[in-house]
Amino acid sequence: MRVLIQMKPDRDVVEAVANPQLTATTQDVAGSMPGVELDQSFTPVALPRPVPSTAEGDPLSLTQPLRFSMRPEDATVLVRGEIHDYDAASRLSMLALSRSQIVGVSADPVIQTSPTCPGDGPVGNWQDVKNLLAELGADDLDGSGIALAITDTGINTQHLSNELDRPVTVDAARSWNPPGVTGKPGQFPVDHGTMCAFDALIAAPKATLIDVPVLLSQQQGPTVMSGLLSDAVAAYSHLWSVLETMPDDKRALVVSNSWGSFSPRWDFPPSHPGNYSDNPGHPFNLMVTALESAGADVLFAAGNCGLDCPDGRCEFPDRPIVGANSHPRALSIGGVDTRGNRVGYSSQGPGRLDPNKPDICAYTHFEGSHAFGAGEPDSGTSAACPVAAGVVAAVRTQWSANVIKPAELRILLQRTADDRGAAGFDHDYGFGIINVPAIMDALRRRSKNGHGIRR
Amino acid sequence: MAPDKPTSLITVTLPSGATLEDALRQLGIGRDAVDTDYGLVDLHNGTYALLVTEAVAERVHGTPGAQGPYANPKIEPFGPPQPRPDED
Repeated sequence: MRVLIQMKPDRDVVEAVANPQLTATTQDVAGSMPGVELDQSFTPVALPRPVPSTAEGDPLSLTQPLRFSMRPEDATVLVRGEIHDYDAASRLSMLALSRSQIVGVSADPVIQTSPTCPGDGPVGNWQDVKNLLAELGADDLDGSGIALAITDTGINTQHLSNELDRPVTVDAARSWNPPGVTGKPGQFPVDHGTMCAFDALIAAPKATLIDVPVLLSQQQGPTVMSGLLSDAVAAYSHLWSVLETMPDDKRALVVSNSWGSFSPRWDFPPSHPGNYSDNPGHPFNLMVTALESAGADVLFAAGNCGLDCPDGRCEFPDRPIVGANSHPRALSIGGVDTRGNRVGYSSQGPGRLDPNKPDICAYTHFEGSHAFGAGEPDSGTSAACPVAAGVVAAVRTQWSANVIKPAELRILLQRTADDRGAAGFDHDYGFGIINVPAIMDALRRRSKNGHGIRR
Repeated sequence: MAPDKPTSLITVTLPSGATLEDALRQLGIGRDAVDTDYGLVDLHNGTYALLVTEAVAERVHGTPGAQGPYANPKIEPFGPPQPRPDED
Protein backbone atom coordinates (compact mmCIF):
# COMPACT_ATOMS: atom_id res chain seq x y z
CA MET A 1 0.00 0.00 0.00
CA ARG A 2 1.32 3.39 -0.98
CA VAL A 3 1.14 6.00 1.78
CA LEU A 4 1.80 9.66 2.39
CA ILE A 5 3.52 10.24 5.73
CA GLN A 6 3.01 13.64 7.33
CA MET A 7 5.94 14.59 9.59
CA LYS A 8 7.00 17.36 11.89
CA PRO A 9 10.80 17.36 11.54
CA ASP A 10 13.22 19.86 13.05
CA ARG A 11 12.54 23.49 12.31
CA ASP A 12 15.51 23.93 9.96
CA VAL A 13 14.37 20.95 7.89
CA VAL A 14 10.86 22.42 7.57
CA GLU A 15 12.42 25.71 6.50
CA ALA A 16 14.52 23.93 3.88
CA VAL A 17 11.50 22.10 2.45
CA ALA A 18 9.32 25.21 2.42
CA ASN A 19 11.96 27.43 0.83
CA PRO A 20 12.10 26.94 -2.96
CA GLN A 21 15.68 28.26 -2.92
CA LEU A 22 16.79 25.35 -0.74
CA THR A 23 16.74 21.60 -1.25
CA ALA A 24 15.70 18.90 1.19
CA THR A 25 15.40 15.22 0.36
CA THR A 26 13.25 12.44 1.80
CA GLN A 27 16.42 11.21 3.52
CA ASP A 28 16.84 14.65 5.16
CA VAL A 29 13.24 14.63 6.39
CA ALA A 30 12.67 11.04 7.40
CA GLY A 31 16.06 9.30 7.49
CA SER A 32 15.47 5.57 7.51
CA MET A 33 12.11 4.20 8.55
CA PRO A 34 12.14 0.41 9.11
CA GLY A 35 9.01 -1.25 7.75
CA VAL A 36 8.53 1.47 5.16
CA GLU A 37 10.07 1.66 1.72
CA LEU A 38 10.50 5.38 1.40
CA ASP A 39 10.31 6.85 -2.10
CA GLN A 40 13.57 8.75 -2.38
CA SER A 41 12.55 10.12 -5.77
CA PHE A 42 9.69 12.05 -4.21
CA THR A 43 10.56 15.64 -3.30
CA PRO A 44 9.15 16.35 0.18
CA VAL A 45 6.27 18.79 0.22
CA ALA A 46 5.65 21.38 2.90
CA LEU A 47 2.06 21.40 4.14
CA PRO A 48 0.69 24.60 5.69
CA ARG A 49 -1.23 24.46 8.94
CA PRO A 50 -4.84 25.70 8.94
CA VAL A 51 -5.34 28.34 11.61
CA PRO A 52 -8.62 30.05 12.62
CA SER A 53 -8.84 33.52 11.18
CA THR A 54 -10.03 34.92 14.50
CA ALA A 55 -8.51 34.53 17.96
CA GLU A 56 -11.69 32.95 19.36
CA GLY A 57 -11.94 30.38 16.51
CA ASP A 58 -12.08 26.62 17.12
CA PRO A 59 -8.51 25.31 16.55
CA LEU A 60 -9.89 21.90 15.48
CA SER A 61 -12.55 22.98 12.98
CA LEU A 62 -12.16 23.21 9.23
CA THR A 63 -15.66 24.66 8.74
CA GLN A 64 -14.86 28.24 9.67
CA PRO A 65 -12.84 31.08 8.18
CA LEU A 66 -9.24 29.88 8.02
CA ARG A 67 -5.80 31.10 7.08
CA PHE A 68 -2.88 28.82 6.28
CA SER A 69 0.43 29.22 8.03
CA MET A 70 3.68 28.08 6.44
CA ARG A 71 5.77 29.32 9.38
CA PRO A 72 8.36 26.69 10.38
CA GLU A 73 6.69 26.16 13.76
CA ASP A 74 3.33 25.52 12.08
CA ALA A 75 4.06 23.70 8.80
CA THR A 76 4.52 19.95 8.41
CA VAL A 77 6.19 17.93 5.65
CA LEU A 78 4.90 15.08 3.47
CA VAL A 79 7.05 12.19 2.28
CA ARG A 80 5.95 9.19 0.26
CA GLY A 81 6.49 5.49 0.81
CA GLU A 82 5.07 2.02 0.60
CA ILE A 83 4.17 -0.49 3.28
CA HIS A 84 3.46 -4.17 2.82
CA ASP A 85 -0.13 -5.03 1.92
CA TYR A 86 -0.16 -7.86 4.44
CA ASP A 87 -2.00 -6.80 7.59
CA ALA A 88 -2.06 -3.23 6.32
CA ALA A 89 -4.40 -1.87 9.02
CA SER A 90 -2.12 -2.95 11.87
CA ARG A 91 0.94 -1.71 10.03
CA LEU A 92 -0.64 1.70 9.55
CA SER A 93 -1.40 1.93 13.27
CA MET A 94 2.12 0.91 14.20
CA LEU A 95 3.61 3.34 11.71
CA ALA A 96 1.76 6.28 13.27
CA LEU A 97 3.15 5.30 16.69
CA SER A 98 6.66 4.39 15.61
CA ARG A 99 8.17 7.86 15.40
CA SER A 100 7.22 10.93 17.40
CA GLN A 101 7.77 13.12 14.33
CA ILE A 102 4.97 11.35 12.44
CA VAL A 103 1.75 13.31 12.79
CA GLY A 104 -0.38 11.49 10.25
CA VAL A 105 -0.48 8.74 7.62
CA SER A 106 -2.75 8.90 4.58
CA ALA A 107 -3.47 6.61 1.66
CA ASP A 108 -1.82 7.53 -1.63
CA PRO A 109 -4.20 5.92 -4.11
CA VAL A 110 -3.45 5.59 -7.78
CA ILE A 111 -5.13 8.41 -9.67
CA GLN A 112 -5.96 8.32 -13.33
CA THR A 113 -7.29 10.66 -15.92
CA SER A 114 -11.02 10.55 -16.54
CA PRO A 115 -12.02 7.62 -18.73
CA THR A 116 -12.92 8.06 -22.36
CA CYS A 117 -16.64 8.68 -22.60
CA PRO A 118 -19.35 9.16 -25.24
CA GLY A 119 -18.77 12.36 -27.16
CA ASP A 120 -15.02 12.50 -26.46
CA GLY A 121 -12.66 12.89 -29.40
CA PRO A 122 -10.63 9.98 -30.75
CA VAL A 123 -7.75 8.52 -28.75
CA GLY A 124 -5.14 7.64 -31.37
CA ASN A 125 -5.94 6.30 -34.80
CA TRP A 126 -6.30 3.01 -36.60
CA GLN A 127 -2.63 2.96 -37.53
CA ASP A 128 -1.87 2.88 -33.80
CA VAL A 129 -4.19 -0.13 -33.51
CA LYS A 130 -2.55 -1.73 -36.52
CA ASN A 131 0.86 -1.27 -34.88
CA LEU A 132 -0.39 -2.92 -31.70
CA LEU A 133 -1.48 -5.93 -33.78
CA ALA A 134 1.41 -5.83 -36.26
CA GLU A 135 3.12 -9.07 -35.27
CA LEU A 136 0.37 -11.04 -37.02
CA GLY A 137 1.94 -9.94 -40.29
CA ALA A 138 5.28 -11.51 -39.40
CA ASP A 139 3.73 -14.95 -39.93
CA ASP A 140 1.53 -13.85 -42.84
CA LEU A 141 -1.60 -14.09 -40.72
CA ASP A 142 -3.69 -11.63 -42.72
CA GLY A 143 -7.11 -13.29 -43.04
CA SER A 144 -6.50 -14.62 -46.56
CA GLY A 145 -9.32 -16.98 -47.51
CA ILE A 146 -11.15 -16.50 -44.22
CA ALA A 147 -14.86 -15.70 -44.18
CA LEU A 148 -15.57 -12.86 -41.78
CA ALA A 149 -19.27 -12.14 -41.28
CA ILE A 150 -20.28 -8.65 -40.19
CA THR A 151 -23.82 -8.89 -38.82
CA ASP A 152 -24.79 -5.23 -38.67
CA THR A 153 -26.25 -2.45 -40.82
CA GLY A 154 -24.59 -3.50 -44.07
CA ILE A 155 -21.23 -2.73 -45.63
CA ASN A 156 -20.17 -0.12 -48.15
CA THR A 157 -17.12 -1.46 -49.98
CA GLN A 158 -16.54 1.73 -51.93
CA HIS A 159 -16.08 3.70 -48.72
CA LEU A 160 -13.81 1.00 -47.30
CA SER A 161 -11.68 0.95 -50.44
CA ASN A 162 -11.41 4.73 -50.40
CA GLU A 163 -10.39 4.86 -46.75
CA LEU A 164 -7.98 1.93 -46.97
CA ASP A 165 -6.73 2.80 -50.47
CA ARG A 166 -7.01 -0.79 -51.64
CA PRO A 167 -9.71 -3.20 -52.83
CA VAL A 168 -11.99 -4.91 -50.32
CA THR A 169 -13.72 -8.22 -50.99
CA VAL A 170 -17.34 -8.93 -50.08
CA ASP A 171 -18.65 -12.40 -50.89
CA ALA A 172 -22.09 -11.59 -52.29
CA ALA A 173 -23.06 -15.23 -52.78
CA ARG A 174 -22.60 -16.04 -49.08
CA SER A 175 -24.06 -12.75 -47.82
CA TRP A 176 -27.67 -12.61 -46.69
CA ASN A 177 -30.44 -10.05 -46.21
CA PRO A 178 -33.27 -10.19 -43.68
CA PRO A 179 -36.76 -10.36 -45.19
CA GLY A 180 -37.71 -7.03 -46.70
CA VAL A 181 -34.16 -5.68 -46.99
CA THR A 182 -33.41 -5.20 -50.66
CA GLY A 183 -29.94 -3.64 -50.76
CA LYS A 184 -27.04 -5.49 -52.36
CA PRO A 185 -24.10 -6.86 -50.36
CA GLY A 186 -21.34 -4.29 -50.08
CA GLN A 187 -23.56 -1.49 -51.38
CA PHE A 188 -25.38 -0.34 -48.28
CA PRO A 189 -25.20 3.27 -47.06
CA VAL A 190 -22.10 4.11 -45.03
CA ASP A 191 -23.02 3.54 -41.41
CA HIS A 192 -22.27 1.44 -38.37
CA GLY A 193 -21.72 -1.77 -40.35
CA THR A 194 -19.11 -0.13 -42.55
CA MET A 195 -17.29 1.03 -39.41
CA CYS A 196 -17.31 -2.54 -38.08
CA ALA A 197 -16.00 -3.93 -41.37
CA PHE A 198 -13.20 -1.35 -41.43
CA ASP A 199 -12.16 -2.23 -37.90
CA ALA A 200 -12.18 -5.96 -38.63
CA LEU A 201 -9.89 -5.39 -41.63
CA ILE A 202 -7.21 -3.72 -39.50
CA ALA A 203 -5.87 -7.09 -38.34
CA ALA A 204 -7.22 -9.19 -41.21
CA PRO A 205 -6.79 -7.02 -44.33
CA LYS A 206 -7.27 -9.91 -46.75
CA ALA A 207 -10.32 -11.49 -45.13
CA THR A 208 -13.41 -12.03 -47.26
CA LEU A 209 -16.35 -10.15 -45.79
CA ILE A 210 -19.82 -11.65 -45.58
CA ASP A 211 -22.43 -8.90 -45.37
CA VAL A 212 -25.34 -9.71 -43.04
CA PRO A 213 -27.36 -6.50 -42.41
CA VAL A 214 -29.56 -7.74 -39.56
CA LEU A 215 -29.92 -4.21 -38.17
CA LEU A 216 -31.69 -3.00 -41.30
CA SER A 217 -34.88 -4.87 -40.56
CA GLN A 218 -37.84 -3.14 -42.14
CA GLN A 219 -40.06 -4.35 -39.34
CA GLN A 220 -39.23 -1.26 -37.28
CA GLY A 221 -39.80 1.17 -40.12
CA PRO A 222 -37.39 2.34 -42.80
CA THR A 223 -35.60 5.02 -40.77
CA VAL A 224 -34.76 3.16 -37.58
CA MET A 225 -31.32 1.56 -37.42
CA SER A 226 -32.37 -1.49 -35.48
CA GLY A 227 -33.61 -4.97 -36.09
CA LEU A 228 -35.38 -7.75 -34.34
CA LEU A 229 -33.72 -10.74 -32.78
CA SER A 230 -35.72 -13.03 -35.07
CA ASP A 231 -33.70 -11.58 -37.97
CA ALA A 232 -30.52 -12.65 -36.18
CA VAL A 233 -31.99 -16.14 -35.69
CA ALA A 234 -32.52 -16.40 -39.43
CA ALA A 235 -29.08 -14.92 -40.15
CA TYR A 236 -27.38 -17.49 -37.95
CA SER A 237 -29.31 -20.28 -39.64
CA HIS A 238 -27.90 -19.01 -42.93
CA LEU A 239 -24.38 -18.80 -41.53
CA TRP A 240 -24.68 -22.35 -40.24
CA SER A 241 -25.41 -23.44 -43.82
CA VAL A 242 -22.39 -21.44 -45.05
CA LEU A 243 -20.17 -23.17 -42.53
CA GLU A 244 -21.49 -26.61 -43.41
CA THR A 245 -20.41 -26.20 -47.03
CA MET A 246 -16.77 -25.74 -46.00
CA PRO A 247 -14.50 -28.78 -46.02
CA ASP A 248 -13.51 -29.82 -42.51
CA ASP A 249 -9.83 -29.05 -42.96
CA LYS A 250 -10.54 -25.53 -44.19
CA ARG A 251 -13.42 -24.71 -41.89
CA ALA A 252 -13.22 -21.16 -40.58
CA LEU A 253 -15.96 -18.59 -40.12
CA VAL A 254 -15.64 -15.60 -37.84
CA VAL A 255 -18.85 -13.80 -36.88
CA SER A 256 -18.64 -10.26 -35.49
CA ASN A 257 -21.68 -8.92 -33.64
CA SER A 258 -21.63 -5.31 -32.43
CA TRP A 259 -25.21 -5.09 -31.26
CA GLY A 260 -27.53 -6.14 -28.49
CA SER A 261 -30.48 -5.22 -26.36
CA PHE A 262 -30.51 -2.05 -24.27
CA SER A 263 -33.68 -2.53 -22.29
CA PRO A 264 -35.48 -5.23 -20.31
CA ARG A 265 -38.70 -3.63 -21.53
CA TRP A 266 -38.02 -5.20 -24.92
CA ASP A 267 -37.81 -8.68 -23.41
CA PHE A 268 -40.05 -11.06 -21.51
CA PRO A 269 -39.41 -11.13 -17.75
CA PRO A 270 -36.57 -13.44 -16.61
CA SER A 271 -39.13 -15.82 -15.10
CA HIS A 272 -40.86 -16.29 -18.48
CA PRO A 273 -39.73 -19.41 -20.38
CA GLY A 274 -39.46 -17.34 -23.56
CA ASN A 275 -37.12 -14.75 -22.03
CA TYR A 276 -33.98 -13.91 -24.03
CA SER A 277 -31.63 -12.00 -21.73
CA ASP A 278 -31.23 -14.66 -19.03
CA ASN A 279 -32.25 -17.80 -20.89
CA PRO A 280 -29.74 -20.07 -22.66
CA GLY A 281 -32.71 -21.96 -24.12
CA HIS A 282 -33.93 -19.02 -26.22
CA PRO A 283 -33.79 -19.94 -29.95
CA PHE A 284 -31.12 -17.34 -30.69
CA ASN A 285 -28.93 -18.48 -27.81
CA LEU A 286 -29.36 -22.05 -29.06
CA MET A 287 -28.31 -20.89 -32.55
CA VAL A 288 -25.13 -19.39 -31.10
CA THR A 289 -24.38 -22.76 -29.51
CA ALA A 290 -25.12 -24.56 -32.77
CA LEU A 291 -22.94 -22.24 -34.86
CA GLU A 292 -20.04 -22.44 -32.43
CA SER A 293 -20.34 -26.22 -32.25
CA ALA A 294 -20.13 -26.35 -36.02
CA GLY A 295 -16.82 -24.46 -35.93
CA ALA A 296 -17.58 -20.74 -36.02
CA ASP A 297 -15.83 -18.17 -33.86
CA VAL A 298 -18.59 -15.97 -32.50
CA LEU A 299 -17.72 -12.59 -31.02
CA PHE A 300 -20.11 -10.16 -29.37
CA ALA A 301 -19.57 -6.63 -28.13
CA ALA A 302 -19.97 -6.47 -24.35
CA GLY A 303 -22.06 -3.32 -24.65
CA ASN A 304 -21.80 0.35 -23.75
CA CYS A 305 -23.37 0.36 -20.31
CA GLY A 306 -20.22 0.83 -18.20
CA LEU A 307 -20.68 2.48 -14.84
CA ASP A 308 -18.50 5.53 -15.56
CA CYS A 309 -20.47 6.95 -18.48
CA PRO A 310 -23.08 4.58 -19.89
CA ASP A 311 -24.80 5.05 -23.22
CA GLY A 312 -27.95 7.07 -22.77
CA ARG A 313 -30.06 4.16 -24.01
CA CYS A 314 -28.98 1.75 -21.23
CA GLU A 315 -31.95 0.63 -19.15
CA PHE A 316 -30.80 -2.55 -17.45
CA PRO A 317 -30.50 -1.59 -13.77
CA ASP A 318 -27.60 -4.01 -13.31
CA ARG A 319 -25.70 -6.77 -15.13
CA PRO A 320 -26.07 -5.17 -18.57
CA ILE A 321 -24.21 -7.89 -20.52
CA VAL A 322 -27.28 -9.90 -21.48
CA GLY A 323 -28.30 -12.70 -23.80
CA ALA A 324 -25.82 -13.76 -26.46
CA ASN A 325 -23.50 -10.91 -25.50
CA SER A 326 -22.83 -13.01 -22.38
CA HIS A 327 -23.00 -16.41 -24.09
CA PRO A 328 -20.52 -18.97 -22.75
CA ARG A 329 -19.70 -20.10 -26.32
CA ALA A 330 -19.04 -16.53 -27.53
CA LEU A 331 -16.20 -14.12 -26.85
CA SER A 332 -17.59 -11.03 -25.16
CA ILE A 333 -15.40 -8.05 -26.01
CA GLY A 334 -14.97 -5.00 -23.79
CA GLY A 335 -13.36 -1.77 -24.96
CA VAL A 336 -10.07 -0.04 -24.15
CA ASP A 337 -8.55 3.03 -25.77
CA THR A 338 -5.21 2.88 -27.56
CA ARG A 339 -3.48 3.71 -24.26
CA GLY A 340 -4.89 0.52 -22.73
CA ASN A 341 -7.41 2.17 -20.43
CA ARG A 342 -10.95 0.82 -20.25
CA VAL A 343 -13.31 3.26 -21.90
CA GLY A 344 -15.83 4.43 -19.34
CA TYR A 345 -18.84 3.12 -21.24
CA SER A 346 -17.58 -0.45 -21.70
CA SER A 347 -20.03 -2.76 -19.89
CA GLN A 348 -18.81 -4.60 -16.83
CA GLY A 349 -19.71 -8.12 -15.80
CA PRO A 350 -20.95 -10.37 -14.46
CA GLY A 351 -22.81 -11.48 -17.56
CA ARG A 352 -26.27 -12.99 -17.38
CA LEU A 353 -25.72 -16.27 -19.24
CA ASP A 354 -22.11 -16.64 -18.07
CA PRO A 355 -20.94 -14.55 -15.11
CA ASN A 356 -17.31 -14.42 -16.31
CA LYS A 357 -17.85 -11.66 -18.86
CA PRO A 358 -16.45 -9.75 -20.63
CA ASP A 359 -13.84 -12.26 -21.79
CA ILE A 360 -11.23 -9.81 -23.03
CA CYS A 361 -10.91 -6.22 -24.22
CA ALA A 362 -9.85 -4.80 -27.56
CA TYR A 363 -9.23 -1.31 -28.89
CA THR A 364 -11.90 1.27 -29.60
CA HIS A 365 -12.50 5.03 -29.73
CA PHE A 366 -9.80 5.67 -32.32
CA GLU A 367 -9.90 7.62 -35.56
CA GLY A 368 -10.57 5.02 -38.20
CA SER A 369 -13.28 4.49 -40.76
CA HIS A 370 -14.73 8.03 -40.81
CA ALA A 371 -18.09 6.28 -41.21
CA PHE A 372 -19.62 8.97 -39.01
CA GLY A 373 -17.64 11.86 -40.49
CA ALA A 374 -14.20 13.43 -40.21
CA GLY A 375 -12.88 13.55 -36.66
CA GLU A 376 -15.52 11.16 -35.34
CA PRO A 377 -13.97 8.10 -33.72
CA ASP A 378 -14.81 4.49 -34.35
CA SER A 379 -16.28 4.01 -30.91
CA GLY A 380 -18.27 1.82 -28.58
CA THR A 381 -17.58 -1.81 -27.91
CA SER A 382 -19.01 -1.87 -31.44
CA ALA A 383 -15.50 -1.06 -32.66
CA ALA A 384 -13.67 -3.23 -30.13
CA CYS A 385 -15.55 -6.36 -31.20
CA PRO A 386 -14.55 -6.34 -34.88
CA VAL A 387 -10.97 -5.39 -33.97
CA ALA A 388 -10.84 -8.63 -31.96
CA ALA A 389 -12.72 -10.49 -34.71
CA GLY A 390 -10.03 -9.37 -37.14
CA VAL A 391 -7.36 -10.85 -34.90
CA VAL A 392 -9.29 -14.13 -34.76
CA ALA A 393 -9.69 -14.14 -38.55
CA ALA A 394 -5.96 -13.49 -38.92
CA VAL A 395 -5.16 -16.45 -36.67
CA ARG A 396 -7.53 -18.61 -38.68
CA THR A 397 -5.47 -17.88 -41.81
CA GLN A 398 -3.27 -20.80 -40.85
CA TRP A 399 -5.15 -22.43 -38.00
CA SER A 400 -8.51 -23.83 -39.05
CA ALA A 401 -11.32 -24.68 -36.66
CA ASN A 402 -10.57 -28.38 -36.83
CA VAL A 403 -7.00 -27.72 -35.66
CA ILE A 404 -7.85 -25.18 -32.97
CA LYS A 405 -11.49 -25.48 -32.02
CA PRO A 406 -13.34 -22.23 -31.23
CA ALA A 407 -13.37 -23.10 -27.53
CA GLU A 408 -9.61 -23.67 -27.57
CA LEU A 409 -9.03 -20.40 -29.36
CA ARG A 410 -11.13 -18.56 -26.78
CA ILE A 411 -9.00 -20.04 -24.02
CA LEU A 412 -5.83 -19.09 -25.90
CA LEU A 413 -7.01 -15.48 -26.24
CA GLN A 414 -7.97 -15.38 -22.56
CA ARG A 415 -4.73 -16.95 -21.37
CA THR A 416 -2.52 -14.65 -23.43
CA ALA A 417 -4.42 -11.43 -22.66
CA ASP A 418 -2.48 -8.57 -21.11
CA ASP A 419 -3.86 -8.61 -17.57
CA ARG A 420 -5.31 -5.31 -16.35
CA GLY A 421 -7.38 -4.27 -13.38
CA ALA A 422 -7.40 -6.78 -10.53
CA ALA A 423 -4.97 -9.69 -10.88
CA GLY A 424 -6.39 -12.39 -13.11
CA PHE A 425 -9.97 -12.21 -14.34
CA ASP A 426 -12.06 -9.22 -13.33
CA HIS A 427 -15.38 -7.83 -14.47
CA ASP A 428 -13.88 -4.62 -15.89
CA TYR A 429 -11.31 -6.02 -18.31
CA GLY A 430 -12.12 -9.73 -18.28
CA PHE A 431 -8.81 -11.55 -18.66
CA GLY A 432 -7.19 -8.39 -20.03
CA ILE A 433 -6.40 -6.74 -23.35
CA ILE A 434 -5.98 -8.81 -26.50
CA ASN A 435 -2.26 -9.38 -26.81
CA VAL A 436 -0.99 -10.27 -30.27
CA PRO A 437 2.70 -10.86 -29.36
CA ALA A 438 1.62 -13.33 -26.66
CA ILE A 439 -0.84 -15.01 -29.07
CA MET A 440 1.92 -15.38 -31.64
CA ASP A 441 4.29 -16.78 -29.06
CA ALA A 442 1.71 -19.37 -28.02
CA LEU A 443 0.95 -20.33 -31.63
CA ARG A 444 4.62 -20.66 -32.51
CA ARG A 445 5.25 -22.86 -29.49
CA ARG A 446 2.22 -24.93 -30.39
CA SER A 447 3.52 -25.37 -33.91
CA LYS A 448 7.05 -26.14 -32.74
CA ASN A 449 5.78 -28.75 -30.31
CA GLY A 450 3.82 -30.45 -33.08
CA HIS A 451 0.37 -29.73 -31.65
CA GLY A 452 -1.90 -29.34 -34.60
CA ILE A 453 -1.25 -28.86 -38.27
CA ARG A 454 -1.46 -25.55 -40.04
CA ARG A 455 -3.81 -25.12 -42.98
CA MET B 1 -57.09 -1.56 -32.31
CA ALA B 2 -54.03 -2.47 -34.38
CA PRO B 3 -54.26 -5.68 -36.40
CA ASP B 4 -52.54 -8.70 -34.87
CA LYS B 5 -49.36 -8.87 -36.97
CA PRO B 6 -47.32 -12.07 -37.07
CA THR B 7 -44.37 -11.01 -34.87
CA SER B 8 -44.39 -13.64 -32.11
CA LEU B 9 -41.47 -16.05 -32.31
CA ILE B 10 -42.26 -19.73 -31.80
CA THR B 11 -40.49 -22.98 -32.64
CA VAL B 12 -41.91 -26.22 -33.94
CA THR B 13 -40.42 -29.68 -34.26
CA LEU B 14 -40.52 -30.95 -37.86
CA PRO B 15 -38.68 -33.52 -39.98
CA SER B 16 -35.52 -32.44 -41.77
CA GLY B 17 -36.23 -30.46 -44.95
CA ALA B 18 -39.64 -29.32 -43.77
CA THR B 19 -41.40 -26.43 -45.52
CA LEU B 20 -43.59 -23.62 -44.27
CA GLU B 21 -46.62 -25.55 -45.51
CA ASP B 22 -45.59 -28.48 -43.32
CA ALA B 23 -45.44 -26.15 -40.34
CA LEU B 24 -48.85 -24.66 -41.11
CA ARG B 25 -50.36 -28.14 -41.34
CA GLN B 26 -48.80 -29.26 -38.07
CA LEU B 27 -49.94 -26.13 -36.25
CA GLY B 28 -53.35 -26.11 -37.90
CA ILE B 29 -53.14 -22.47 -38.98
CA GLY B 30 -53.45 -20.53 -42.21
CA ARG B 31 -50.89 -18.45 -44.12
CA ASP B 32 -52.51 -15.23 -42.88
CA ALA B 33 -51.34 -16.09 -39.34
CA VAL B 34 -47.63 -16.31 -40.21
CA ASP B 35 -44.96 -13.98 -41.56
CA THR B 36 -44.42 -15.63 -44.92
CA ASP B 37 -41.48 -13.32 -45.71
CA TYR B 38 -39.70 -14.59 -42.64
CA GLY B 39 -40.67 -18.12 -43.58
CA LEU B 40 -39.53 -21.23 -41.79
CA VAL B 41 -36.03 -20.96 -40.29
CA ASP B 42 -34.08 -24.18 -39.71
CA LEU B 43 -32.41 -24.04 -36.28
CA HIS B 44 -30.39 -27.14 -37.16
CA ASN B 45 -31.41 -28.96 -34.00
CA GLY B 46 -34.59 -30.58 -35.27
CA THR B 47 -36.68 -27.49 -34.70
CA TYR B 48 -37.73 -24.60 -36.89
CA ALA B 49 -38.59 -21.00 -36.02
CA LEU B 50 -41.42 -18.93 -37.45
CA LEU B 51 -43.24 -15.73 -36.69
CA VAL B 52 -46.95 -16.01 -35.94
CA THR B 53 -49.65 -13.72 -34.63
CA GLU B 54 -49.92 -13.28 -30.89
CA ALA B 55 -53.30 -15.03 -30.89
CA VAL B 56 -51.85 -18.05 -32.66
CA ALA B 57 -48.80 -18.07 -30.37
CA GLU B 58 -51.11 -18.31 -27.37
CA ARG B 59 -53.24 -20.94 -29.04
CA VAL B 60 -50.38 -23.23 -30.08
CA HIS B 61 -48.81 -23.05 -26.62
CA GLY B 62 -48.94 -26.61 -25.39
CA THR B 63 -49.37 -28.10 -28.88
CA PRO B 64 -47.04 -31.11 -29.17
CA GLY B 65 -43.78 -30.03 -30.79
CA ALA B 66 -44.54 -26.32 -30.59
CA GLN B 67 -42.80 -24.06 -28.10
CA GLY B 68 -42.97 -20.38 -27.33
CA PRO B 69 -43.68 -17.59 -27.59
CA TYR B 70 -40.08 -16.44 -27.22
CA ALA B 71 -39.03 -12.85 -26.77
CA ASN B 72 -38.21 -11.12 -30.03
CA PRO B 73 -36.61 -7.96 -28.69
CA LYS B 74 -35.40 -5.03 -30.69
CA ILE B 75 -31.63 -5.07 -31.22
CA GLU B 76 -29.48 -2.00 -31.77
CA PRO B 77 -25.85 -1.24 -32.56
CA PHE B 78 -23.41 -0.71 -29.68
CA GLY B 79 -21.93 2.44 -31.10
CA PRO B 80 -21.39 5.25 -31.32
CA PRO B 81 -22.45 5.47 -27.67
CA GLN B 82 -24.91 8.26 -26.98
CA PRO B 83 -24.46 10.61 -24.02
CA ARG B 84 -27.18 10.63 -21.40
CA PRO B 85 -29.54 13.58 -21.78
CA ASP B 86 -28.03 15.37 -18.76
CA GLU B 87 -24.52 14.99 -20.21
CA ASP B 88 -25.24 17.00 -23.32
